[in-house]
Amino acid sequence: MRRMKWLVGAAAAAGLLATAAQPASAADPHRGGILRLVSASAGGTLDPKINYTLQYWTMYQYTYDGLLTFKHAAGSDGFTIVPDLAEAMPESQNGGKTYVFKLRKGIKFSNGKELDVKDVVASFQRIFKVSSPTAGSFYNGIVGADACLKTPATCTLDGGVVADEANNTITINLVAPDSEFFDKISVPHGVILPADTPAKDMGNTPIPGTGAYMFAAYDPNKQLKAVRNPYFKEWSKDAQPDGYPDEIHYDFGLAGEDQITAIENGQADWTLDQPPADRLAEMGSKYPSQVHINTLTAMWYAPMNVNIPPFNNLKARLAVNYAIDRNAMVKLFGGKVLAQPACQIIPPGFDGYQPYCPYTKHPGAKWSAPDLAKARRLVKESGTAGQKVTIIVQDLAADKAEGTYLQSVLKSIGYDASVKVLSQNIQFTYIQNTNNKVQISITQWYQDYPAPSDFLNVLFGCDSFHPGSDSSVNIAGFCDKTIDAAMKHAMTTSLTDKAAAAKEWTAVDRAMTDQAPAAIMFTPKYIDFLSKRVGNYIFNAQYYWQQNLAWVQ
Amino acid sequence: MVSLLIRRFAQMIFVMLGISILVFLIFFATPGADPASRIAGRNASPEVLAAVRASFGLDRPLPIQYAVMMRRLFIDQDLTSFVNRGEVVVPEVMGAAPVTLSLVMGAAVFWIFGSIAIGLVAAATKGSFLDRLLMVLGLIGISMPVYWLGEIVNLITQKELHDTWLFSWVPQLGYTALTEDPWLWFKSLLLPWITLAILYIGLYGRVLRASLVEAGQEDYIRTARSKGLSESRILIRHALRTSLIAFVTLFGLDFGALVGGSALLTEVVFALHGVGRLTYQALLDLDLPVIMATVMYASFFVVFANALVDILYAILDPRVRLA
Amino acid sequence: MSSSLPATSDLGEGLAAVPRPALGPWARAGRKLVSDRVAMGALGLFILIVLACLAAPLYATYVAHTDPFTSNVEGSITIDGQDVDLIQPSTEGLGLGSVPLGPTWDIHNYFLGADGQGRDVAARILYGGRNSLLIGGTSTAICLFLAALTGLVSGFFGGVTDMLISRLLDVLWAFPIYLLAISLSIVLISHGFTIGPFEITSGSLWLPIWIIAIVYVPYVARPIRGQVLALKESEFVLAAKGLGVPDWRILWRDILPNVMTTIIVFVPLMVAVNMLTESALSFLSIGVQAPDASWGTIIQDGQDLIYTRPWVAIAPGIAIVLTVLALNILGDGLRDALDPRAKLRIR
Repeated sequence: MRRMKWLVGAAAAAGLLATAAQPASAADPHRGGILRLVSASAGGTLDPKINYTLQYWTMYQYTYDGLLTFKHAAGSDGFTIVPDLAEAMPESQNGGKTYVFKLRKGIKFSNGKELDVKDVVASFQRIFKVSSPTAGSFYNGIVGADACLKTPATCTLDGGVVADEANNTITINLVAPDSEFFDKISVPHGVILPADTPAKDMGNTPIPGTGAYMFAAYDPNKQLKAVRNPYFKEWSKDAQPDGYPDEIHYDFGLAGEDQITAIENGQADWTLDQPPADRLAEMGSKYPSQVHINTLTAMWYAPMNVNIPPFNNLKARLAVNYAIDRNAMVKLFGGKVLAQPACQIIPPGFDGYQPYCPYTKHPGAKWSAPDLAKARRLVKESGTAGQKVTIIVQDLAADKAEGTYLQSVLKSIGYDASVKVLSQNIQFTYIQNTNNKVQISITQWYQDYPAPSDFLNVLFGCDSFHPGSDSSVNIAGFCDKTIDAAMKHAMTTSLTDKAAAAKEWTAVDRAMTDQAPAAIMFTPKYIDFLSKRVGNYIFNAQYYWQQNLAWVQ
Repeated sequence: MVSLLIRRFAQMIFVMLGISILVFLIFFATPGADPASRIAGRNASPEVLAAVRASFGLDRPLPIQYAVMMRRLFIDQDLTSFVNRGEVVVPEVMGAAPVTLSLVMGAAVFWIFGSIAIGLVAAATKGSFLDRLLMVLGLIGISMPVYWLGEIVNLITQKELHDTWLFSWVPQLGYTALTEDPWLWFKSLLLPWITLAILYIGLYGRVLRASLVEAGQEDYIRTARSKGLSESRILIRHALRTSLIAFVTLFGLDFGALVGGSALLTEVVFALHGVGRLTYQALLDLDLPVIMATVMYASFFVVFANALVDILYAILDPRVRLA
Repeated sequence: MSSSLPATSDLGEGLAAVPRPALGPWARAGRKLVSDRVAMGALGLFILIVLACLAAPLYATYVAHTDPFTSNVEGSITIDGQDVDLIQPSTEGLGLGSVPLGPTWDIHNYFLGADGQGRDVAARILYGGRNSLLIGGTSTAICLFLAALTGLVSGFFGGVTDMLISRLLDVLWAFPIYLLAISLSIVLISHGFTIGPFEITSGSLWLPIWIIAIVYVPYVARPIRGQVLALKESEFVLAAKGLGVPDWRILWRDILPNVMTTIIVFVPLMVAVNMLTESALSFLSIGVQAPDASWGTIIQDGQDLIYTRPWVAIAPGIAIVLTVLALNILGDGLRDALDPRAKLRIR
């Protein structure tokens, strides 16, 4: 469940507008310089309507704007939604089915064109025209969306997104009230682009935006370059701050070990990729002031296919949960400082999170130790002992290490287990497709936006299970009608009473965890390793390190 | 002779066609290779998935997809990658080619001179300690896995001894174009050249020595000797020329394969973004357009080198021509 | 000059019957090989390595008391009476990360230290050697068999057969084996298949064995074909043909034995080459799959530890170098002993 902070934020934002936050003045000594980022590979297409990677979502925050956005603030204050291109948070009308946004005036795209309501309508249509990955999951609640999903090319969203040129307003009509609507239009798939942007994936060609920065050039084998938007004037420090670096250079192709060496030598400022395990000790002891660790609302977990043997048997699934030594898994990931054992599905920091761990020697709130004896007993009772089990992992070092360890655990409780490593580019879609008969795999889930439904409903709800498709993110294939009904009820409750909804989500979390459709492993933390010269480190819970607010001089 | 050339050329085309069809079929036979879901993004709804599949032409029958891909690759040259959308494949491969060429040509210079020197010295001092030592060193060179050797070289030059005068000149791993900074280009490539060459120096040194020794027993050499020519003159002016036939043909095959990208392990270990590394990355990503382009590129060089060597044999050795 | 002319009294001896050598050409070659001390040394080293790897289970159970296939992340061992964690969390600075135990140089106790999962590296290297040697040997046998077949048929029958086979070999030689390896291993995850007694699943060793064997067939078939081409024009073959001897008999009795020496010389060389290829495939994670280990996979494991525990990557590499070196030296000795120019033209 998303926090209700946006109501509070609306009042605060109105106050802020009145005082018009000061942009970083040209006299500010920290303004300027080139920020140098590195990563092993590029993030795919640059088109914000299509790209679904954290790598570029972090950058879209300062190159594009939506009607609303997540606040550029530290920690979980970054979950707050503030008005961006809209002047104020809209009032909910018509029982939560209609919102009227008043568009700001005087904002220009990076190609000099002035923003107007036509661009907003076109941008929403474009979500469907280019087949954005979330078109069917986030934006299907808009009136007219089902027609757009059927025939994307002729999408009009008639009656769904209505522009009023005279009053400079946009009215969005929903089919049903949605408590997560604001989150959904705040993510980069909902940003506003010029109306004349072609209705196809723009790939490597940068699209003009209204943000403080613009993309200047992109070669996915070499570099992505962002420079200041010459037409930008700061209108809201919370929504789109002016930013300190003059340019941001993102170089691709350097491998893990070399990235760390480059940062230590001052040749690069930051790397997207998590450091290789053997450099952690060195980083922690020689460069502690350059290491920043933040908890993520994410989880590492091992979904078990509940529809094929051996994990179609509840006892077998429980056995796996009891057998894994979460401390060992944490150790393999990098140690207690970098991860925290987890047994339940909702991550810490979310509404509705109440610590709960039944899968340990002394069940209670926290995990303490594995219970191998119980696990072995459960396996025997389930009658699945001796069966062949294949674990599918992706070919990154951490995943391989966890997979090898899990294989060892499964063997020790009585299964004939083996590990299969697949390229990271295909493993995630491979484990989703039921045709591949994947029994158990190891994967991660990071939030799209801060709502328990993003974990419980998206990962384990009946609607997310599409047999035979590469896109069936309910990898476990779990579908329990009672729990599903409870989730739908919780989502309805959250429209009116957030506190009650949180309690309902807690109950769903427990029920789901007790059914063990997956073995939840741990909650990871994120390491930012910065070079010596970088200052003003701000970590935002939604988009992570605020690159545009970094000081490089 | 001309008909032989035409025949070989036609066969070359046939081979490349066969390879492209095989690659295509293997790709689509691999479960999880269908790029539609990866392209559409995680948790895409079924409608979105279908729309993406149609826009990429993935719902059309395989022979048509093959024909379209080949046309886009060779004629229109606008074939784009499945993973890096918008990335045109042909310029991507062409951009990686100079890196591989730099690596392979530099290594070739090292190994040609190195192996000729070793072969000559070993043959001249046949049976002596020096001969044995050189042959054993050559054998050790052949016996080391090249990626392992590269890792050790990196460990020593980038970390352990990086701060000493021996290796402080070693730059960060990667490639700089010759046109950008010739000195840095040289410094970055020196260690990869030597690493790659060590394998081949050993091999070619031994091959040369063996054929020199064999040639030494031929009648024409005995004649030269009986005529009173000095040993070194015999070695260099008579024996070497005939021994070089085997050497050159072997070199043609290996060089062809390397230019096509078989130096992939060296490229991976030294972070050089050449064709080999591109191929390997595309294979892992199951990025069919890039796989097709790099495989075509590689097989062209291999097949061309094969054909060239065969023709060379036919010219030089009349017995083969009769076959 | 005059001293080189035989004395009249020597002539009688000179005209006496020349004693025929009692040994046939194979035995003579064998003798020569055995007397080559360097080659025998290499053979001895190779046998030593094979025996050590075969003894892997004995080492793991009785000497080292470890199980090199079970993860031991939270385990510890005793060194000099003290309990030492196998994977030690860092305590300096922020306490990030952990480092596996380094080499203890104690043959009874984690001789080369632990790897990232807390397993005994020395024991794994011995076990890994079994797979590397097995794959090297089996793929060589298959490869040489297929190469001999294609080389003989292609070289002897010539014409269209030769052209078709040669082009097929070209396709094979130019084909990206990595693609085949990756694709096959994915296909086989969910659907292994069975041919007679062989069950091939995605983790099966038959996969790398067959891939490596097939990929090198053109490499061996080419020289065999060349040799057959030359032999085809030799007098004894022409004579046999003229006598009306059927083709298969000529192949079997006249050509094959001569080609045999080439094949024999190829044996240790191909085992060496195949072992190197297997290690490369395993290094790239498309060869031997976990839980099996091979020298290539252990080098892969060691890659992530190369800055802190380099021995995990160095030791298996040394093992490969020694084995391949021994095989190459043996191959040299074989080639010298079986000198094809002199005595082995069987007639």
